[in-house]
Amino acid sequence: MRYLTSFPRLLPALGLTLLLLPGCYSRSDMKGEEAAADTKTETPAATPTPDAPAEAAEAASGAAAQPLQAVNVFLEVSGSMEGFMPKTGASGENTKFQQHVAQLLSEINRTPAARKKAFFRIKEKPYADTYQGISGTVRSGIQQPAKSTELPAVLDTLMTRYYQPGTVSVLISDFIYSPKNAGAIPYIKTDITDALQRNGAQPDLAVSVYGYTSDFRGTYYPALKAAGKKTACCDTEIPYYIWVLGPADAVRRFDAALLEQQSGKQAHFGVTYPRPAYSVLDKFQNKGAWYYGDAGASKRAAGSYRVVAVSEASAQQPVEFVVGLNLGQLPGQYKDVAYLKQNLKLEGVDTDARLLDVTAATDQTKASSGPQSKYTHFAKVRLTRQPKAARPLVLRLQDQRPVWVAQWTTRNDGTPAPKTFALSSLLDGLAPADAARPIFELPLTLQPAK
Amino acid sequence: MKAFFRFLYELIGAPQPPADTPVYRDVIFPNLGLLNLGVSLGMVVVFYLLINRAMGVATFNKGRHWAIFLGLNALIAFVVTIWQTNAQQVTDHSYIYWLATWNAILGMFWFFLFSVLLKRASTNASTTPF
Repeated sequence: MRYLTSFPRLLPALGLTLLLLPGCYSRSDMKGEEAAADTKTETPAATPTPDAPAEAAEAASGAAAQPLQAVNVFLEVSGSMEGFMPKTGASGENTKFQQHVAQLLSEINRTPAARKKAFFRIKEKPYADTYQGISGTVRSGIQQPAKSTELPAVLDTLMTRYYQPGTVSVLISDFIYSPKNAGAIPYIKTDITDALQRNGAQPDLAVSVYGYTSDFRGTYYPALKAAGKKTACCDTEIPYYIWVLGPADAVRRFDAALLEQQSGKQAHFGVTYPRPAYSVLDKFQNKGAWYYGDAGASKRAAGSYRVVAVSEASAQQPVEFVVGLNLGQLPGQYKDVAYLKQNLKLEGVDTDARLLDVTAATDQTKASSGPQSKYTHFAKVRLTRQPKAARPLVLRLQDQRPVWVAQWTTRNDGTPAPKTFALSSLLDGLAPADAARPIFELPLTLQPAK
Repeated sequence: MKAFFRFLYELIGAPQPPADTPVYRDVIFPNLGLLNLGVSLGMVVVFYLLINRAMGVATFNKGRHWAIFLGLNALIAFVVTIWQTNAQQVTDHSYIYWLATWNAILGMFWFFLFSVLLKRASTNASTTPF
Protein backbone atom coordinates (compact mmCIF):
# COMPACT_ATOMS: atom_id res chain seq x y z
CA MET A 1 0.00 0.00 0.00
CA ARG A 2 2.98 2.25 0.30
CA TYR A 3 3.14 3.08 -3.35
CA LEU A 4 -0.48 4.18 -3.29
CA THR A 5 0.18 6.82 -0.68
CA SER A 6 3.26 8.20 -2.37
CA PHE A 7 1.90 7.97 -5.91
CA PRO A 8 0.21 11.41 -5.86
CA ARG A 9 3.61 13.01 -5.42
CA LEU A 10 4.60 11.70 -8.83
CA LEU A 11 1.56 13.10 -10.54
CA PRO A 12 3.07 16.50 -11.45
CA ALA A 13 5.98 14.86 -13.27
CA LEU A 14 3.72 12.45 -15.16
CA GLY A 15 1.30 15.22 -15.92
CA LEU A 16 4.10 17.31 -17.39
CA THR A 17 5.10 14.40 -19.62
CA LEU A 18 1.55 13.94 -20.83
CA LEU A 19 1.18 17.65 -21.46
CA LEU A 20 4.26 17.73 -23.66
CA LEU A 21 3.00 15.04 -26.02
CA PRO A 22 -0.04 16.73 -27.54
CA GLY A 23 1.85 20.03 -27.72
CA CYS A 24 3.57 18.80 -30.85
CA TYR A 25 3.17 20.39 -34.24
CA SER A 26 1.89 18.63 -37.26
CA ARG A 27 1.10 19.85 -40.74
CA SER A 28 -2.55 18.90 -40.46
CA ASP A 29 -2.85 20.91 -37.26
CA MET A 30 -1.39 23.89 -39.00
CA LYS A 31 -3.70 23.55 -41.95
CA GLY A 32 -6.56 23.39 -39.50
CA GLU A 33 -5.36 26.56 -37.85
CA GLU A 34 -4.99 28.21 -41.20
CA ALA A 35 -8.48 27.17 -42.22
CA ALA A 36 -9.77 28.58 -38.98
CA ALA A 37 -7.95 31.82 -39.71
CA ASP A 38 -9.45 31.86 -43.19
CA THR A 39 -12.98 31.52 -41.92
CA LYS A 40 -12.20 34.31 -39.48
CA THR A 41 -11.18 36.62 -42.31
CA GLU A 42 -14.17 35.62 -44.36
CA THR A 43 -16.68 36.37 -41.65
CA PRO A 44 -16.39 40.17 -41.87
CA ALA A 45 -17.00 39.99 -45.62
CA ALA A 46 -20.22 38.12 -45.03
CA THR A 47 -21.44 40.70 -42.53
CA PRO A 48 -22.94 43.92 -43.91
CA THR A 49 -19.92 45.98 -42.81
CA PRO A 50 -18.23 46.94 -46.06
CA ASP A 51 -14.79 45.45 -46.49
CA ALA A 52 -13.23 47.23 -49.44
CA PRO A 53 -10.92 44.57 -50.97
CA ALA A 54 -13.38 41.75 -50.40
CA GLU A 55 -16.10 43.84 -52.01
CA ALA A 56 -13.94 44.60 -55.03
CA ALA A 57 -13.14 40.93 -55.48
CA GLU A 58 -16.80 40.08 -55.16
CA ALA A 59 -17.78 42.70 -57.72
CA ALA A 60 -15.18 41.38 -60.15
CA SER A 61 -16.31 37.79 -59.81
CA GLY A 62 -19.91 38.92 -60.08
CA ALA A 63 -19.14 40.73 -63.32
CA ALA A 64 -17.43 37.64 -64.67
CA ALA A 65 -20.46 35.51 -63.92
CA GLN A 66 -22.85 38.04 -65.50
CA PRO A 67 -23.57 37.60 -69.20
CA LEU A 68 -22.60 40.32 -71.64
CA GLN A 69 -25.14 43.09 -72.24
CA ALA A 70 -25.33 42.59 -75.97
CA VAL A 71 -23.65 41.12 -79.00
CA ASN A 72 -24.04 42.87 -82.33
CA VAL A 73 -23.14 40.74 -85.33
CA PHE A 74 -22.32 42.49 -88.58
CA LEU A 75 -22.07 40.55 -91.83
CA GLU A 76 -20.59 42.29 -94.81
CA VAL A 77 -22.70 41.69 -97.94
CA SER A 78 -20.71 43.54 -100.55
CA GLY A 79 -19.99 42.01 -103.94
CA SER A 80 -16.62 40.70 -102.85
CA MET A 81 -18.32 38.48 -100.26
CA GLU A 82 -20.53 36.78 -102.83
CA GLY A 83 -17.97 34.12 -103.60
CA PHE A 84 -18.07 32.95 -99.98
CA MET A 85 -21.84 32.70 -100.08
CA PRO A 86 -22.71 31.42 -103.55
CA LYS A 87 -26.30 30.58 -104.32
CA THR A 88 -26.84 26.98 -103.46
CA GLY A 89 -25.97 24.78 -106.42
CA ALA A 90 -28.06 21.89 -107.67
CA SER A 91 -25.90 19.41 -105.77
CA GLY A 92 -26.44 21.34 -102.54
CA GLU A 93 -22.72 21.85 -102.01
CA ASN A 94 -21.65 24.77 -99.90
CA THR A 95 -18.43 26.56 -98.98
CA LYS A 96 -16.51 26.28 -95.73
CA PHE A 97 -17.49 29.88 -95.03
CA GLN A 98 -21.18 29.03 -95.22
CA GLN A 99 -20.73 25.99 -93.03
CA HIS A 100 -18.67 27.82 -90.43
CA VAL A 101 -20.48 31.14 -90.29
CA ALA A 102 -23.96 29.58 -90.24
CA GLN A 103 -22.82 27.45 -87.32
CA LEU A 104 -21.24 30.42 -85.54
CA LEU A 105 -24.34 32.60 -86.01
CA SER A 106 -26.44 29.84 -84.54
CA GLU A 107 -24.11 29.56 -81.56
CA ILE A 108 -24.17 33.31 -80.99
CA ASN A 109 -27.95 33.31 -81.23
CA ARG A 110 -28.23 30.52 -78.66
CA THR A 111 -25.42 31.49 -76.29
CA PRO A 112 -26.26 32.25 -72.67
CA ALA A 113 -23.09 34.39 -72.55
CA ALA A 114 -24.95 37.47 -73.80
CA ARG A 115 -28.39 38.85 -72.99
CA LYS A 116 -29.27 40.60 -76.22
CA LYS A 117 -28.23 39.55 -79.70
CA ALA A 118 -28.66 41.73 -82.75
CA PHE A 119 -27.78 40.96 -86.36
CA PHE A 120 -26.93 43.46 -89.09
CA ARG A 121 -26.06 43.40 -92.77
CA ILE A 122 -23.40 45.91 -93.73
CA LYS A 123 -23.98 47.71 -96.96
CA GLU A 124 -22.97 51.35 -97.03
CA LYS A 125 -24.20 51.39 -93.43
CA PRO A 126 -25.44 48.66 -91.08
CA TYR A 127 -29.02 47.53 -91.65
CA ALA A 128 -30.78 45.72 -88.85
CA ASP A 129 -31.72 42.18 -89.70
CA THR A 130 -32.85 39.11 -87.82
CA TYR A 131 -31.05 35.88 -87.05
CA GLN A 132 -33.20 34.10 -89.62
CA GLY A 133 -32.48 36.79 -92.21
CA ILE A 134 -28.71 36.72 -91.72
CA SER A 135 -28.54 32.97 -91.51
CA GLY A 136 -30.62 32.73 -94.69
CA THR A 137 -28.24 35.13 -96.45
CA VAL A 138 -25.24 33.03 -95.43
CA ARG A 139 -26.90 29.80 -96.55
CA SER A 140 -28.53 30.80 -99.80
CA GLY A 141 -26.36 33.66 -100.97
CA ILE A 142 -26.51 37.44 -101.08
CA GLN A 143 -29.62 38.69 -102.82
CA GLN A 144 -28.62 42.29 -103.50
CA PRO A 145 -24.90 42.75 -103.06
CA ALA A 146 -23.83 46.17 -101.90
CA LYS A 147 -21.21 48.23 -103.55
CA SER A 148 -17.88 47.82 -101.86
CA THR A 149 -17.92 49.19 -98.33
CA GLU A 150 -15.11 51.28 -96.92
CA LEU A 151 -13.59 49.58 -93.91
CA PRO A 152 -12.73 52.78 -91.96
CA ALA A 153 -16.31 54.01 -92.40
CA VAL A 154 -17.66 50.71 -91.10
CA LEU A 155 -15.35 50.76 -88.09
CA ASP A 156 -16.23 54.37 -87.40
CA THR A 157 -19.94 53.50 -87.37
CA LEU A 158 -19.36 50.54 -85.07
CA MET A 159 -17.36 52.66 -82.68
CA THR A 160 -19.72 55.62 -82.54
CA ARG A 161 -23.00 53.72 -82.47
CA TYR A 162 -22.36 50.29 -80.99
CA TYR A 163 -19.48 50.72 -78.57
CA GLN A 164 -21.02 50.22 -75.12
CA PRO A 165 -19.74 48.75 -71.86
CA GLY A 166 -20.39 45.01 -71.80
CA THR A 167 -21.17 44.96 -75.51
CA VAL A 168 -19.12 43.50 -78.33
CA SER A 169 -19.42 43.96 -82.07
CA VAL A 170 -18.62 40.97 -84.26
CA LEU A 171 -17.65 41.88 -87.77
CA ILE A 172 -17.54 39.14 -90.40
CA SER A 173 -15.82 40.19 -93.61
CA ASP A 174 -12.99 39.45 -96.03
CA PHE A 175 -11.37 42.74 -94.93
CA ILE A 176 -10.15 43.54 -98.39
CA TYR A 177 -9.65 47.25 -97.94
CA SER A 178 -8.66 49.31 -100.92
CA PRO A 179 -8.07 53.00 -100.36
CA LYS A 180 -9.59 55.17 -103.08
CA ASN A 181 -6.21 55.95 -104.55
CA ALA A 182 -2.96 54.05 -104.44
CA GLY A 183 -1.24 56.96 -102.72
CA ALA A 184 -3.26 56.26 -99.59
CA ILE A 185 -1.95 52.72 -99.21
CA PRO A 186 0.89 53.70 -96.83
CA TYR A 187 -1.73 55.34 -94.61
CA ILE A 188 -3.92 52.28 -94.07
CA LYS A 189 -2.71 51.94 -90.48
CA THR A 190 -3.50 55.58 -89.75
CA ASP A 191 -6.93 55.30 -91.38
CA ILE A 192 -7.84 52.34 -89.17
CA THR A 193 -6.53 53.96 -85.99
CA ASP A 194 -8.39 57.17 -86.80
CA ALA A 195 -11.63 55.29 -87.37
CA LEU A 196 -11.32 53.38 -84.11
CA GLN A 197 -10.19 56.25 -81.93
CA ARG A 198 -11.88 59.26 -83.40
CA ASN A 199 -12.34 60.89 -80.04
CA GLY A 200 -9.59 59.00 -78.27
CA ALA A 201 -12.38 58.26 -75.85
CA GLN A 202 -12.12 54.47 -75.72
CA PRO A 203 -8.88 53.68 -73.94
CA ASP A 204 -10.04 50.17 -73.13
CA LEU A 205 -10.90 49.29 -76.73
CA ALA A 206 -9.80 45.77 -77.60
CA VAL A 207 -9.98 43.85 -80.86
CA SER A 208 -9.63 40.13 -81.37
CA VAL A 209 -9.00 39.02 -84.92
CA TYR A 210 -9.75 35.47 -86.03
CA GLY A 211 -8.61 34.38 -89.47
CA TYR A 212 -10.05 31.52 -91.52
CA THR A 213 -9.86 30.38 -95.11
CA SER A 214 -12.67 29.11 -97.27
CA ASP A 215 -13.21 27.90 -100.79
CA PHE A 216 -14.61 30.66 -102.94
CA ARG A 217 -16.96 30.43 -105.90
CA GLY A 218 -17.71 33.67 -107.59
CA THR A 219 -16.17 36.93 -108.66
CA TYR A 220 -13.00 37.98 -106.86
CA TYR A 221 -12.42 41.70 -106.40
CA PRO A 222 -8.79 42.45 -105.49
CA ALA A 223 -7.96 45.53 -103.47
CA LEU A 224 -5.76 46.76 -106.27
CA LYS A 225 -8.41 47.58 -108.82
CA ALA A 226 -5.83 47.85 -111.57
CA ALA A 227 -5.45 44.09 -111.46
CA GLY A 228 -9.06 43.72 -112.51
CA LYS A 229 -11.71 41.41 -111.09
CA LYS A 230 -11.48 37.68 -111.64
CA THR A 231 -14.68 35.94 -112.55
CA ALA A 232 -15.31 32.26 -111.81
CA CYS A 233 -12.75 32.33 -109.08
CA CYS A 234 -10.90 30.49 -107.47
CA ASP A 235 -8.79 27.39 -107.23
CA THR A 236 -7.21 28.52 -103.95
CA GLU A 237 -8.87 29.27 -100.66
CA ILE A 238 -9.53 32.90 -99.78
CA PRO A 239 -9.21 34.25 -96.22
CA TYR A 240 -12.04 35.79 -94.27
CA TYR A 241 -11.95 37.23 -90.78
CA ILE A 242 -14.03 37.68 -87.70
CA TRP A 243 -13.21 40.80 -85.73
CA VAL A 244 -14.50 41.18 -82.22
CA LEU A 245 -14.50 44.81 -81.08
CA GLY A 246 -15.43 46.15 -77.70
CA PRO A 247 -14.20 46.97 -74.22
CA ALA A 248 -11.29 44.73 -73.24
CA ASP A 249 -13.19 42.83 -70.60
CA ALA A 250 -16.20 42.13 -72.81
CA VAL A 251 -14.02 40.98 -75.71
CA ARG A 252 -12.13 38.60 -73.44
CA ARG A 253 -15.34 37.05 -72.17
CA PHE A 254 -16.86 36.75 -75.63
CA ASP A 255 -13.69 35.16 -77.01
CA ALA A 256 -13.59 32.64 -74.20
CA ALA A 257 -17.27 31.78 -74.54
CA LEU A 258 -17.59 31.45 -78.29
CA LEU A 259 -14.45 31.72 -80.35
CA GLU A 260 -11.80 29.92 -78.32
CA GLN A 261 -12.87 26.45 -79.46
CA GLN A 262 -12.69 27.42 -83.12
CA SER A 263 -9.71 26.24 -85.06
CA GLY A 264 -8.84 29.49 -86.85
CA LYS A 265 -5.82 31.74 -86.51
CA GLN A 266 -6.05 34.43 -83.89
CA ALA A 267 -4.49 37.73 -82.87
CA HIS A 268 -5.48 39.95 -79.98
CA PHE A 269 -5.05 43.68 -79.56
CA GLY A 270 -5.54 45.44 -76.27
CA VAL A 271 -7.36 42.53 -74.63
CA THR A 272 -6.40 42.21 -70.98
CA TYR A 273 -6.40 38.99 -69.01
CA PRO A 274 -6.47 38.32 -65.28
CA ARG A 275 -3.15 37.17 -63.89
CA PRO A 276 -2.90 33.39 -64.18
CA ALA A 277 -2.42 31.24 -61.09
CA TYR A 278 1.21 30.28 -60.57
CA SER A 279 3.51 28.80 -58.00
CA VAL A 280 7.04 27.57 -57.53
CA LEU A 281 7.03 23.76 -57.28
CA ASP A 282 9.60 22.28 -54.89
CA LYS A 283 9.21 18.63 -55.83
CA PHE A 284 8.82 18.71 -59.56
CA GLN A 285 12.00 18.42 -61.62
CA ASN A 286 13.82 20.34 -58.90
CA LYS A 287 17.58 20.26 -58.65
CA GLY A 288 20.12 21.67 -56.27
CA ALA A 289 19.98 23.10 -52.79
CA TRP A 290 16.96 25.37 -52.54
CA TYR A 291 13.64 25.42 -50.77
CA TYR A 292 10.49 27.51 -50.37
CA GLY A 293 11.51 30.74 -48.70
CA ASP A 294 7.97 32.02 -48.13
CA ALA A 295 7.07 32.87 -44.56
CA GLY A 296 5.42 29.86 -42.95
CA ALA A 297 6.35 27.74 -45.97
CA SER A 298 5.24 24.47 -44.40
CA LYS A 299 1.73 25.66 -43.56
CA ARG A 300 0.83 27.34 -46.85
CA ALA A 301 -1.72 25.93 -49.22
CA ALA A 302 -0.03 24.44 -52.24
CA GLY A 303 0.01 26.85 -55.14
CA SER A 304 1.02 30.03 -53.33
CA TYR A 305 4.78 29.75 -53.27
CA ARG A 306 6.67 32.69 -54.71
CA VAL A 307 10.01 32.73 -52.91
CA VAL A 308 13.02 30.57 -53.71
CA ALA A 309 15.62 30.33 -50.94
CA VAL A 310 18.93 29.15 -52.35
CA SER A 311 21.33 27.58 -49.89
CA GLU A 312 24.02 26.69 -52.40
CA ALA A 313 24.52 27.25 -56.10
CA SER A 314 27.54 26.90 -58.32
CA ALA A 315 28.33 26.02 -61.90
CA GLN A 316 28.90 22.41 -60.82
CA GLN A 317 25.77 22.28 -58.70
CA PRO A 318 23.23 24.56 -60.34
CA VAL A 319 19.85 25.23 -58.83
CA GLU A 320 16.86 24.40 -61.01
CA PHE A 321 13.30 25.11 -60.10
CA VAL A 322 10.02 24.89 -61.96
CA VAL A 323 7.23 27.46 -61.88
CA GLY A 324 3.81 25.99 -62.57
CA LEU A 325 1.49 28.26 -64.60
CA ASN A 326 -2.20 27.82 -65.13
CA LEU A 327 -2.85 29.46 -68.48
CA GLY A 328 -6.28 27.90 -68.92
CA GLN A 329 -7.97 31.31 -69.12
CA LEU A 330 -5.75 32.67 -71.87
CA PRO A 331 -6.55 32.36 -75.58
CA GLY A 332 -4.90 29.59 -77.55
CA GLN A 333 -2.34 31.89 -79.10
CA TYR A 334 -0.70 32.50 -75.73
CA LYS A 335 -0.97 28.89 -74.60
CA ASP A 336 0.98 27.64 -77.57
CA VAL A 337 4.26 26.18 -76.28
CA ALA A 338 6.23 27.49 -79.26
CA TYR A 339 4.89 30.99 -78.58
CA LEU A 340 5.70 30.71 -74.89
CA LYS A 341 9.23 29.48 -75.59
CA GLN A 342 9.86 32.59 -77.66
CA ASN A 343 8.05 35.20 -75.65
CA LEU A 344 8.09 34.18 -72.02
CA LYS A 345 10.95 36.17 -70.52
CA LEU A 346 12.60 35.96 -67.16
CA GLU A 347 13.94 39.20 -65.78
CA GLY A 348 15.97 39.39 -62.62
CA VAL A 349 18.26 41.75 -60.80
CA ASP A 350 21.81 40.77 -59.96
CA THR A 351 21.38 37.11 -60.86
CA ASP A 352 22.28 34.72 -63.65
CA ALA A 353 18.90 33.01 -63.48
CA ARG A 354 17.59 32.16 -66.92
CA LEU A 355 14.66 30.33 -68.39
CA LEU A 356 15.72 26.86 -69.48
CA ASP A 357 12.53 25.55 -70.99
CA VAL A 358 8.78 25.89 -71.16
CA THR A 359 6.70 22.73 -71.37
CA ALA A 360 3.02 21.95 -71.45
CA ALA A 361 1.34 19.64 -68.97
CA THR A 362 1.45 15.97 -69.88
CA ASP A 363 -0.91 13.18 -68.88
CA GLN A 364 1.66 12.25 -66.28
CA THR A 365 1.64 15.67 -64.59
CA LYS A 366 -2.13 15.91 -64.81
CA ALA A 367 -2.57 12.54 -63.12
CA SER A 368 0.03 13.32 -60.47
CA SER A 369 -1.00 13.61 -56.84
CA GLY A 370 1.39 16.54 -56.40
CA PRO A 371 0.54 20.22 -56.89
CA GLN A 372 1.83 20.06 -60.49
CA SER A 373 -1.50 18.52 -61.51
CA LYS A 374 -3.11 21.97 -61.24
CA TYR A 375 -0.93 23.62 -63.88
CA THR A 376 -1.13 23.67 -67.66
CA HIS A 377 2.43 24.84 -68.29
CA PHE A 378 5.79 24.68 -66.58
CA ALA A 379 8.68 27.11 -66.81
CA LYS A 380 12.03 25.77 -65.69
CA VAL A 381 14.60 28.22 -64.34
CA ARG A 382 18.28 27.59 -63.71
CA LEU A 383 20.79 29.66 -61.78
CA THR A 384 24.37 29.03 -60.78
CA ARG A 385 25.04 31.99 -58.48
CA GLN A 386 23.66 32.32 -55.02
CA PRO A 387 21.73 35.60 -54.56
CA LYS A 388 23.35 37.98 -52.12
CA ALA A 389 20.06 39.26 -50.75
CA ALA A 390 16.37 39.02 -51.58
CA ARG A 391 16.03 39.99 -55.25
CA PRO A 392 12.94 40.24 -57.46
CA LEU A 393 12.54 37.89 -60.41
CA VAL A 394 9.74 38.38 -62.93
CA LEU A 395 8.26 35.99 -65.47
CA ARG A 396 6.78 38.15 -68.22
CA LEU A 397 4.87 37.08 -71.32
CA GLN A 398 5.41 39.54 -74.16
CA ASP A 399 2.59 40.30 -76.54
CA GLN A 400 3.97 39.42 -79.94
CA ARG A 401 2.24 39.68 -83.30
CA PRO A 402 1.63 36.09 -84.37
CA VAL A 403 3.61 34.81 -87.34
CA TRP A 404 0.56 33.97 -89.43
CA VAL A 405 -0.24 37.66 -89.91
CA ALA A 406 2.91 38.20 -91.94
CA GLN A 407 2.33 34.97 -93.84
CA TRP A 408 -1.22 35.97 -94.76
CA THR A 409 -0.21 39.44 -95.90
CA THR A 410 0.37 40.33 -99.52
CA ARG A 411 1.23 43.58 -101.24
CA ASN A 412 -0.40 42.57 -104.48
CA ASP A 413 -3.58 40.56 -104.36
CA GLY A 414 -4.13 40.62 -108.12
CA THR A 415 -3.66 36.87 -108.17
CA PRO A 416 -6.11 35.15 -105.82
CA ALA A 417 -4.26 33.46 -102.98
CA PRO A 418 -4.95 32.68 -99.32
CA LYS A 419 -3.53 36.08 -98.46
CA THR A 420 -5.08 39.45 -97.76
CA PHE A 421 -3.95 42.79 -99.09
CA ALA A 422 -2.03 44.85 -96.48
CA LEU A 423 -3.30 42.73 -93.60
CA SER A 424 -0.42 43.66 -91.32
CA SER A 425 -1.01 47.35 -91.98
CA LEU A 426 -4.67 46.87 -91.05
CA LEU A 427 -3.69 45.13 -87.84
CA ASP A 428 -1.03 47.75 -87.11
CA GLY A 429 -3.92 50.17 -86.86
CA LEU A 430 -5.48 48.04 -84.13
CA ALA A 431 -2.46 47.99 -81.85
CA PRO A 432 -3.15 50.04 -78.75
CA ALA A 433 -0.93 52.93 -77.80
CA ASP A 434 0.76 50.94 -75.04
CA ALA A 435 1.48 48.00 -77.31
CA ALA A 436 4.42 46.94 -75.19
CA ARG A 437 2.09 45.94 -72.36
CA PRO A 438 2.79 42.32 -71.43
CA ILE A 439 0.08 39.66 -71.28
CA PHE A 440 1.01 38.88 -67.70
CA GLU A 441 3.73 39.49 -65.16
CA LEU A 442 4.41 36.99 -62.42
CA PRO A 443 6.67 38.28 -59.65
CA LEU A 444 8.92 35.86 -57.77
CA THR A 445 11.69 36.39 -55.24
CA LEU A 446 15.15 34.89 -55.06
CA GLN A 447 16.88 34.98 -51.72
CA PRO A 448 19.79 33.35 -49.96
CA ALA A 449 18.88 30.64 -47.48
CA LYS A 450 18.71 31.96 -43.97
CA MET B 1 12.17 27.35 -29.11
CA LYS B 2 12.07 26.65 -32.85
CA ALA B 3 15.44 28.33 -33.28
CA PHE B 4 16.94 26.24 -30.47
CA PHE B 5 15.73 22.95 -31.92
CA ARG B 6 16.81 24.02 -35.38
CA PHE B 7 20.30 24.72 -34.02
CA LEU B 8 20.33 21.40 -32.17
CA TYR B 9 19.26 19.27 -35.13
CA GLU B 10 21.28 21.11 -37.76
CA LEU B 11 24.49 20.30 -35.90
CA ILE B 12 24.62 17.26 -38.19
CA GLY B 13 24.10 19.40 -41.32
CA ALA B 14 21.23 20.93 -43.26
CA PRO B 15 18.14 18.80 -43.92
CA GLN B 16 18.13 16.72 -47.08
CA PRO B 17 16.72 16.91 -49.68
CA PRO B 18 16.85 20.71 -49.51
CA ALA B 19 13.27 21.05 -50.76
CA ASP B 20 11.99 19.65 -47.46
CA THR B 21 13.90 22.19 -45.37
CA PRO B 22 10.82 24.24 -44.35
CA VAL B 23 8.98 21.12 -43.16
CA TYR B 24 11.93 19.98 -41.11
CA ARG B 25 12.52 23.40 -39.59
CA ASP B 26 8.90 24.35 -38.95
CA VAL B 27 7.41 21.00 -38.01
CA ILE B 28 9.72 18.04 -37.54
CA PHE B 29 12.52 19.58 -35.48
CA PRO B 30 10.21 21.14 -32.87
CA ASN B 31 8.18 17.92 -32.72
CA LEU B 32 11.23 15.73 -32.27
CA GLY B 33 12.76 18.08 -29.74
CA LEU B 34 9.66 18.29 -27.55
CA LEU B 35 8.88 14.58 -27.81
CA ASN B 36 12.46 13.69 -27.02
CA LEU B 37 12.57 15.90 -23.92
CA GLY B 38 9.21 14.61 -22.76
CA VAL B 39 9.95 10.93 -23.31
CA SER B 40 13.40 11.19 -21.67
CA LEU B 41 11.94 12.94 -18.63
CA GLY B 42 9.17 10.37 -18.45
CA MET B 43 11.61 7.45 -18.59
CA VAL B 44 13.72 8.99 -15.83
CA VAL B 45 10.62 9.58 -13.71
CA VAL B 46 9.47 6.00 -14.24
CA PHE B 47 12.88 4.58 -13.29
CA TYR B 48 13.69 6.71 -10.25
CA LEU B 49 10.38 7.86 -8.90
CA LEU B 50 7.90 5.17 -9.93
CA ILE B 51 9.84 1.90 -9.82
CA ASN B 52 12.46 2.81 -7.26
CA ARG B 53 10.39 4.90 -4.93
CA ALA B 54 6.61 4.71 -5.25
CA MET B 55 6.45 0.99 -6.06
CA GLY B 56 9.38 0.21 -3.77
CA VAL B 57 10.80 -2.44 -6.09
CA ALA B 58 14.11 -3.42 -4.51
CA THR B 59 15.62 -5.51 -7.31
CA PHE B 60 15.67 -3.01 -10.20
CA ASN B 61 18.18 -0.39 -9.15
CA LYS B 62 21.52 -1.54 -10.57
CA GLY B 63 23.53 0.21 -13.25
CA ARG B 64 22.49 -2.40 -15.85
CA HIS B 65 18.83 -1.71 -15.15
CA TRP B 66 19.46 1.97 -15.68
CA ALA B 67 21.25 1.06 -18.91
CA ILE B 68 18.17 -0.89 -20.10
CA PHE B 69 16.13 2.27 -19.70
CA LEU B 70 18.83 4.31 -21.43
CA GLY B 71 18.78 1.94 -24.40
CA LEU B 72 14.98 1.86 -24.46
CA ASN B 73 14.94 5.64 -24.47
CA ALA B 74 17.34 5.76 -27.44
CA LEU B 75 15.22 3.23 -29.32
CA ILE B 76 12.06 5.27 -28.73
CA ALA B 77 13.85 8.42 -29.94
CA PHE B 78 14.91 6.58 -33.11
CA VAL B 79 11.43 5.19 -33.81
CA VAL B 80 9.77 8.54 -33.07
CA THR B 81 11.95 10.18 -35.74
CA ILE B 82 10.96 7.58 -38.34
CA TRP B 83 7.30 7.99 -37.37
CA GLN B 84 7.41 11.80 -37.46
CA THR B 85 9.13 11.98 -40.85
CA ASN B 86 6.63 9.52 -42.28
CA ALA B 87 3.72 11.43 -40.77
CA GLN B 88 4.92 14.67 -42.39
CA GLN B 89 5.40 12.93 -45.74
CA VAL B 90 8.92 14.12 -46.41
CA THR B 91 10.88 12.64 -49.28
CA ASP B 92 12.69 9.37 -48.52
CA HIS B 93 16.35 10.06 -48.00
CA SER B 94 19.20 8.54 -45.98
CA TYR B 95 19.16 11.80 -44.01
CA ILE B 96 16.11 10.48 -42.15
CA TYR B 97 18.25 7.73 -40.58
CA TRP B 98 21.08 10.10 -39.76
CA LEU B 99 18.52 12.31 -38.07
CA ALA B 100 17.04 9.34 -36.19
CA THR B 101 20.49 8.31 -34.97
CA TRP B 102 21.26 11.86 -33.88
CA ASN B 103 17.92 12.02 -32.11
CA ALA B 104 18.73 8.76 -30.28
CA ILE B 105 22.06 10.22 -29.13
CA LEU B 106 20.33 13.38 -27.98
CA GLY B 107 17.76 11.20 -26.18
CA MET B 108 20.50 9.45 -24.27
CA PHE B 109 21.99 12.81 -23.37
CA TRP B 110 18.68 14.11 -22.02
CA PHE B 111 18.16 10.83 -20.14
CA PHE B 112 21.57 11.21 -18.51
CA LEU B 113 20.94 14.84 -17.66
CA PHE B 114 17.55 14.14 -16.06
CA SER B 115 19.04 11.15 -14.21
CA VAL B 116 21.65 13.36 -12.58
CA LEU B 117 18.95 15.86 -11.64
CA LEU B 118 16.37 13.42 -10.28
CA LYS B 119 18.30 10.49 -8.84
CA ARG B 120 18.47 12.06 -5.38
CA ALA B 121 14.69 12.00 -5.23
CA SER B 122 14.70 8.20 -5.46
CA THR B 123 14.88 6.02 -2.35
CA ASN B 124 16.22 2.76 -3.80
CA ALA B 125 18.31 4.02 -6.71
CA SER B 126 19.76 7.32 -5.55
CA THR B 127 23.27 6.17 -6.38
CA THR B 128 22.48 4.63 -9.81
CA PRO B 129 24.32 4.81 -12.15
CA PHE B 130 27.01 6.32 -9.93
